[in-house]
This record gives sequence, structure tokens and C-alpha cells, in this order.
Amino acid sequence: MELKYFILRRSLVIIPTLMGLTVITFILLWGLGPELIYRGINSSPKVNIPLSQQALILSQNGFSAAVVNGKLVFTNPIGMYFNFVSDLFRGNWGYIIGQPLTAPTLQAIEFYFPNTIQLAVGATVMALLIAMPLGTYIGARPNSASDQVGRIFSLSGYALPAFWLGLVLIVLFGNNGTAGFGNGTSGNTPVGIIPYLNIFPYFGNGTEFLSTTAPKGFFSSTFGQTLPTHIFLIDSLIAGKLNYFVIALAHMVLPVATVTYGVLAGILRFIRAGMVDASGQEFVKTARAKGVPEGQVIKKHIRKNALLPTVTVLGLLISGLLGGVVTVEIVFNYKGIGWLAVQAALNYQAWGILAITFLFGIILMVTNLIVDVVYAFMDPRIRY
Amino acid sequence: MEQNVMLNQEESQLSVEGLKVRFFTSKGIVKAIDNLSFSIRKGESYGLVGESGSGKSVTATSVMDLIPDPPGRIIRGKIFINGYNILNDLDRLVTIRIRKPTDVRIKRRKRLMKRHNYIMSGIRGDRVAMIFQEPFLSLNPVMTIGDQIREAILLHSRVEIANSIIKRETLNEDDVSKIADTLMAQPDNFTRKKLIVRVCSQYAIPELAKLFIDLFENSTDKEFITKELLSLVNTKKTGLSLEELEEARNYFLLMDRKHDLSLRLLEAEKQENEKLAEKLHLQIRAINQQLRSDYLVYSLKRRFLRRFIDKPFVEYATGRTLELLMQVNIAGPERVIDAYPHELSGGMLQRCMIAMAFSSNPQILIADEPTTALDVTTQAQILDLMREVNKTYNTSIFFITHDLAVIAEMCDRVGVIYGGNLVEEASVKEIFYNAKHPYTTGLMNAIPKAERRYEKTARLESIPGSVPNLIDPPTGCRFHPRCKFRMDVCSEKKPKLVEIEKEHKVACFLYSDEVENEIEEEVP
Ligand SMILES: Nc1ncnc2c1ncn2[C@@H]1O[C@H](COP(=O)(O)OP(=O)(O)OP(=O)(O)O)[C@@H](O)[C@H]1O
Ligand code: SF4
Ligand SMILES: [Mg+2]
Repeated sequence: MELKYFILRRSLVIIPTLMGLTVITFILLWGLGPELIYRGINSSPKVNIPLSQQALILSQNGFSAAVVNGKLVFTNPIGMYFNFVSDLFRGNWGYIIGQPLTAPTLQAIEFYFPNTIQLAVGATVMALLIAMPLGTYIGARPNSASDQVGRIFSLSGYALPAFWLGLVLIVLFGNNGTAGFGNGTSGNTPVGIIPYLNIFPYFGNGTEFLSTTAPKGFFSSTFGQTLPTHIFLIDSLIAGKLNYFVIALAHMVLPVATVTYGVLAGILRFIRAGMVDASGQEFVKTARAKGVPEGQVIKKHIRKNALLPTVTVLGLLISGLLGGVVTVEIVFNYKGIGWLAVQAALNYQAWGILAITFLFGIILMVTNLIVDVVYAFMDPRIRY
Repeated sequence: MEQNVMLNQEESQLSVEGLKVRFFTSKGIVKAIDNLSFSIRKGESYGLVGESGSGKSVTATSVMDLIPDPPGRIIRGKIFINGYNILNDLDRLVTIRIRKPTDVRIKRRKRLMKRHNYIMSGIRGDRVAMIFQEPFLSLNPVMTIGDQIREAILLHSRVEIANSIIKRETLNEDDVSKIADTLMAQPDNFTRKKLIVRVCSQYAIPELAKLFIDLFENSTDKEFITKELLSLVNTKKTGLSLEELEEARNYFLLMDRKHDLSLRLLEAEKQENEKLAEKLHLQIRAINQQLRSDYLVYSLKRRFLRRFIDKPFVEYATGRTLELLMQVNIAGPERVIDAYPHELSGGMLQRCMIAMAFSSNPQILIADEPTTALDVTTQAQILDLMREVNKTYNTSIFFITHDLAVIAEMCDRVGVIYGGNLVEEASVKEIFYNAKHPYTTGLMNAIPKAERRYEKTARLESIPGSVPNLIDPPTGCRFHPRCKFRMDVCSEKKPKLVEIEKEHKVACFLYSDEVENEIEEEVP
């Protein structure tokens, strides 16, 4: 009951943060300038018209612009800001035109974002599944041989950039379309790379061969029914197409492994540190003095306390994860939100850039909210 | 000598012989405890006093075999708990190689250490229990008090619990009427109350005790009482399958037997009695076999469906926890059981610790400065509680403190420890009125006396100097740098703890010339 109010209160705190986020996004918009904004103002903006007319169209859409010294500039920031915010919340996120696709920005995000969720959640789950037992094990044996191995593993996870690791994995395990899972689904091999073991595909998420165009209605046309999640792994299961599921899974292996490595390194170090710290505390002695067997002391008494500090840094790790996802998506040509962000930036798609910035901000806010709630749930000393 | 030792073990609950504890730190080897011997008799309350850093806590933790490793290790000695030497396999657990005092390599034999821990976890909390100085730090902050006490209960008395639950489930009209008879036959309310509590706990219905007592107070009609009792008992029957309960009981019996055999195996190995060891080994193997075949399903269920399998046990433990909390005079045990440590006061927490320690009726209670962190009133209450427990259950208490007033109040006999050596041991009376060792007399004079406090000129006499650095302790008598009566021999040789009067031992050259032969091989 109390927890419910805590969640509610904590959610309300999001509102000012959200306002802050809109301000930052707006400053970004201001910086991008009217010309770029105009390019995605509607589904087919006329380019070869006089600037004054462009300014007029911008103004009709809530962006007060004028021509000064032969250049298009924004004029009234305050009014514009309020227009912009109301547009944001109504889902008017402009258009992406040309490269990498032509669509309303919101729809493009609807299309690409589920792929990123698939990748990020997959990697987080994998990282937690590995880090929990491993961290418990090495944390209970500080300075042992296994601890040293764990330390090297963690540090290398920090040190190796994701794009490099991704390339190495491609070289080692990549499947250039002649063998392995998901046959014939891979695209072209990066120049100069000859895959070695030919096991896993490394291009996209497996939907590429189903359709290359038309983001909207893509799933429904493929499976003959509407599938709401847009997450290939799940949709293929719902549709009961096991072969597609296998393909989806095969495509996930290398990108998830790459992202997992980086996240895992962080979580592992925190769990280990938490374990070592908790092991030295008095209540552990009490537990042993009660006659709790060593295995239980570690799992029940020490780990429960060790996970608390780990949870607090989980929020930070997730922002790291988002950064990691961008590079990994590029390396594996995995069409998620990170890939879209890079494409949008390369092609001066102002609306794409704005939307993704805003989206990342929201993701961080929500994950931090979840982390806070989980922490409050786990630590009885938190008053809510 | 040998015979003496045997005798000692029989009448004593706990006896420590020639204990040596070392901490291998980067600054050198801390010789924390050197050749410490003492024993605590059944039902006795033994106090250990000394300044801060003299090794009191290390002694207490050694008795539980809980010295933090690394950096510490017990390197020699015997600790008999109920006649069983918990350090039987000490020599085999590790090899210590000292290259330099700051560079010590310890090789641990993992398999043997695992077995040692397995055996110790069955002894700790069961026969010896311990309470600590800082109640705030000594309880797990993320577990409720109830969970922590229940855990202790469920660790050690599982067979008894299973038996009482079986008894409850099979309780019929005849049994109830017999119980009613015996209870009615009690001469007075007080004995009846006590009996009711016992009976209720035997039949796994501790929470009914109160209702029973009320019933007997309000009525003397046998028929009515029997009927009421029966209906009360029936509300508590959960209709568990007896087969399952018996299976659980037999499983726990087997586990207990395995522990017992392992313990005896260690003893046999120590005595190099190969025949017996072989026999015990085979028996343990047979039990393991049985656990893997007959109890495979049960142990799998325990592993994965613990919550359901253990439900009746947990319910029993909850009842018992409430009972224990009431025994330690906690107000509102129903609330406390679901509270987290940070929600309670220090005194309450220390009561909970005591309740936890008593959950399995230990024969020895070790209390390491249990009242130091508490305010004076609470301190007195906790001491009262411990004395009461000591009297009711005839539990031996090993009481550690630096407060002589507390010693005077609590203990039958006292040991005085200085720099890791026991320097004097005698009854409380002797220590207070007839202290021999210069260190002890110094401690006595350091107590502020009520009359003296009001005199303007009076000053608290204290012992000059401070506790020795135990990495390079003073040669000979460790107290000699601070001793007013120092002689030449004192810095050369170490005085031996000898009995100079009946039940009064002192280690000082003022009273005896006997020299303690220091075994200089250091480490096995
Ligand atoms: N973990 C450790 N590492 C190194 N030395 C230790 C460790 N624990 C205890 N010692 C040493 O053992 C000696 C005895 O310490 P102990 O804690 O038993 O003192 P104490 O008599 O309980 O004092 P206090 O009244 O302050 O509790 C001290 O000199 C200390 O330096
Ligand atoms: S042996 Fe010597 S130094 Fe030690 S206490 Fe006795 S008189 Fe003092
Ligand atoms: Mg201490």
C-alpha cells in the first residue's frame, strides 16, 4: 500500500524532469536551425520555393521563422517552445524524408524501437543471469585465482570498445550466408573480412529477407495477421512460426553477446565489491554463529545485502548500455533506434535526431524510476 | 596430566587448552592469543576481563571457530565443547609457511575445510550460541527479526519439530482428555502454567498456550475443559499428510545422523583409529547412498518447492519465535516479529539476539560485551535477563566485558586476560577482595569508588602505559613494561599460570617461580 504511494510520488517527480528534457530538446531544435526543421515539416515539403514562403510554412506549423539577411532564422523562442511541447505530446514529431526511409518520425520509431528493446533487454537479462552467480562466486572468494580471472574479464569488458569486439565476433563466428543458421539471410561481408567459423548471421535482425520496404504493415503482411509487439522474437512465436523464431534467435546471438560483455563487466564488478563489503559485516558473523551453512550464508545473508549497491548503479549501467547499443547496431547493421539515430545524423534528419534524443531521455527517466522502486522494494530501510 | 584433562572435560561444558591465535598481517604476525587455557563448568557463569585489545573477542570468536580467515588463524590448541574437540582436524586444514613475518603463505585444503565447516555449522548455534556487542550491526538489515529467529530455529531442531507436528496431527480425544487430567491434577496455577507451555510446545501448538491457561483459570469442569481443548486443538490441525511429515522427519534424522557420524569420523581420524574410521566412513557412504536413492524425490522437492514443503515447519517456528520473544520480555512480539532491525531500539535488538541464541537451548552462551552499546537501564535489564536464563536452563555463560561492575554482578568465576595471556583466574570474591596479579590489582584500583568520587583530591588511579603491541610483544611477562613490581627475571622468562591457592591461579613471579616453556617452533 505504502509502496504504491511511493511509486506514485516518485512518478510525479518525473514531470519536472520531463520539462527539463523538453527544454533541452528545444535548445537542440533551435540549434539545428529552421532549414533542417523545414525539411521534415510535412510529408513532402517543397524545397525549391523562396525562403519567405518556407518561413510562412514554418510559421503555420508553429515555428515562428523569418528571413533575415537572406537567411532563414527562428524568431520567437518562447511561443515556439510551447507550440513545440504541445506538438511533442500530441505525437507530431515531424517527418524523416529520404534516407534511411520516408515516414513520419513517430512511425519510424515505432518500427525501429522494438528491435532495440529486443537487443537491450536481451543483453541486460543475459548480463544479470551471468553476473549473479558469477559475482556471488568470485565475491565469496576475494583474491582467489577465480577472482583474478573475473577481474581481467571485467576490466577487458570496460576496455574493449564494443565496435571492436563486434568485429572480432563477426570474424570468428560470422556466417556469410553459405552455412549456419538463418541461411541466406546475411548481407554483404564487410570489406576484407572473411568469416572464420560460419555459424551466426551478423546482419540485421532476421526480418530483412522478409521485406525490405514499407515499415507500416510489415508484420501483418508477412504473417497474415496483426502482431502488436513488433519484436521479431516474440511475434514469430505468437504466429507459431518456429523457423522464424530460430532465425531471429540466430541473429540475436552476436549483437547480444557484444552488448552483454560491456554491461556484464560493470555489473560483475559491483556485485563482487558488494559481496566483499557485505562479507566483512557483523551480521555475517551472527549468521555463521547461528550455524547457517556456508553456502546459505553467502546466498541468503551476504548476497541480499550485496545486491543493494548493485541496484543503485543499474541506472548508470543502463545509460551506458544505450550508448553501447548505438555502436553495436551500426556494426551489425541491426536496424534499431541507435542505427536510426546514426542514419538520421548522417542525413541531416533534424526530426529524427530530436525524436531520438527525447526518447533516450525518457528511457533513462523510466529506467531510473524502475531502479528506485526496485531499490525501495529491496531495502527495508528506505522510508517511503 | 592426561587424566586431569579427562576430568576437566567431564565436569566442564567448555574447555580451552593451549589456544594460540595469530593474525598474519602485512605489518607482521599479531600474536593475539598465546597459550590460553580455561574451562567453564556446567551452569557456571565465567567472566573474562581485560583492557581493550587484550584479546577477549578473539578468544570468544575462537570458541565458535569464527576467526576471520584471512588474516587470522587458530594455529594450536584444543577447544572442547561438551567433550568434543572442535579443533580435531586443525593441523590438517592448512600448511603455514613463514618466509618473513610479513610474508606468510597459507595453503588451505579446500575439501577438508569444507568438511570442517559442515561439522562446525552443526555445532554453532546448537550447543554454543553467541551474542555480540553491537546489536545494531549484528542483525541482517534486510531480513525481518522473525525471519532471522525462525532461521535459527529451523536449522537445529528439525527432527523435534517434525515429531511435535506429527504428534499434533495424530492427537485424538483420548489424548486430550489425558492431557486435561494431568493439567487439572496440578496443585497450583503456577506449575500448571509451566506445564501448559511445555505441553503446547510438545504438540506444536505453542500459540494456544495462552488460551489454555485462560481456560483453566475460568473453569474447573472437566468435561467442558476437555471439549474446549479438543475444539481448540482441532482448529490447529492442518490435515497434513502423515506420510509426508514422517518422510521429512526421517530425512532430517538421517541428516543429523550423518552429521554425528562425520563428527565421530574426525575424532577417529585424529586418534588414528583406522578401523573405526573405516567403519564410520562406510556408514556415511551408506547414508549418502540412501539420500540419493530413497530421498531423492524429497530432497529435490526441498530444493525447488521449499516454500510448500517447509510450510508446517515455518508455521511452527513462527509460534516458537513468538514464545521466545515473550520469554525475553519483548513488548508486542507480534509486531516485532515482522519488524526490521532498524525499526527497533538497541535493547530490543539485544533481546532478539538473546531469543535467537536460545532458540535451540544451547548449553553454552557466549556473550561478547552484550551491554556495552546500551544505556545503563537497558544494560541492567539485559543482565537480569541473562541471569534468569542462566538459572532457568542451567546454561553456562561465557561473559566478556571490560566492566568490572558487570563482572561482579554476573559471574561466578573470572579470568583476567592481558596481551593475549591469562594472568589470573579465581572466583569473583577472590578477584575483588584478594587479587594477586599486579595487573588485576591495577584494574581494581581503576574502578571509581563512590566515596572517593566526592573528594576533591581523589583521582582515578590508572595503570600507566598501554596495551602492548602484539606484533612484537614484550619478552618474558608481557606486563613487565608497566609493572610496579618488575624484577630482573620478569623480562627474561615467562611466568606460568599456577594454582597458588585453591581455585586461584596466577601467572606472576611474585607468587611462583614456575616458568612457562614457550614452544618456539611457532607454526606447525
Ligand atoms: N582482524 C584482525 N586483524 C589483525 N589483528 C587483529 C584482528 N582482530 C583482532 N586483532 C588483534 O587481536 C588483538 C585482540 O583483539 P580483540 O578484538 O580480541 O580485543 P578485545 O579484548 O576484544 O578488545 P575490545 O575491548 O576493544 O573489544 C588486538 O591486538 C588486535 O590488534
Ligand atoms: S611477573 Fe613480574 S612483571 Fe609480570 S606481573 Fe609479575 S612482577 Fe610484574
Ligand atoms: Mg572485543
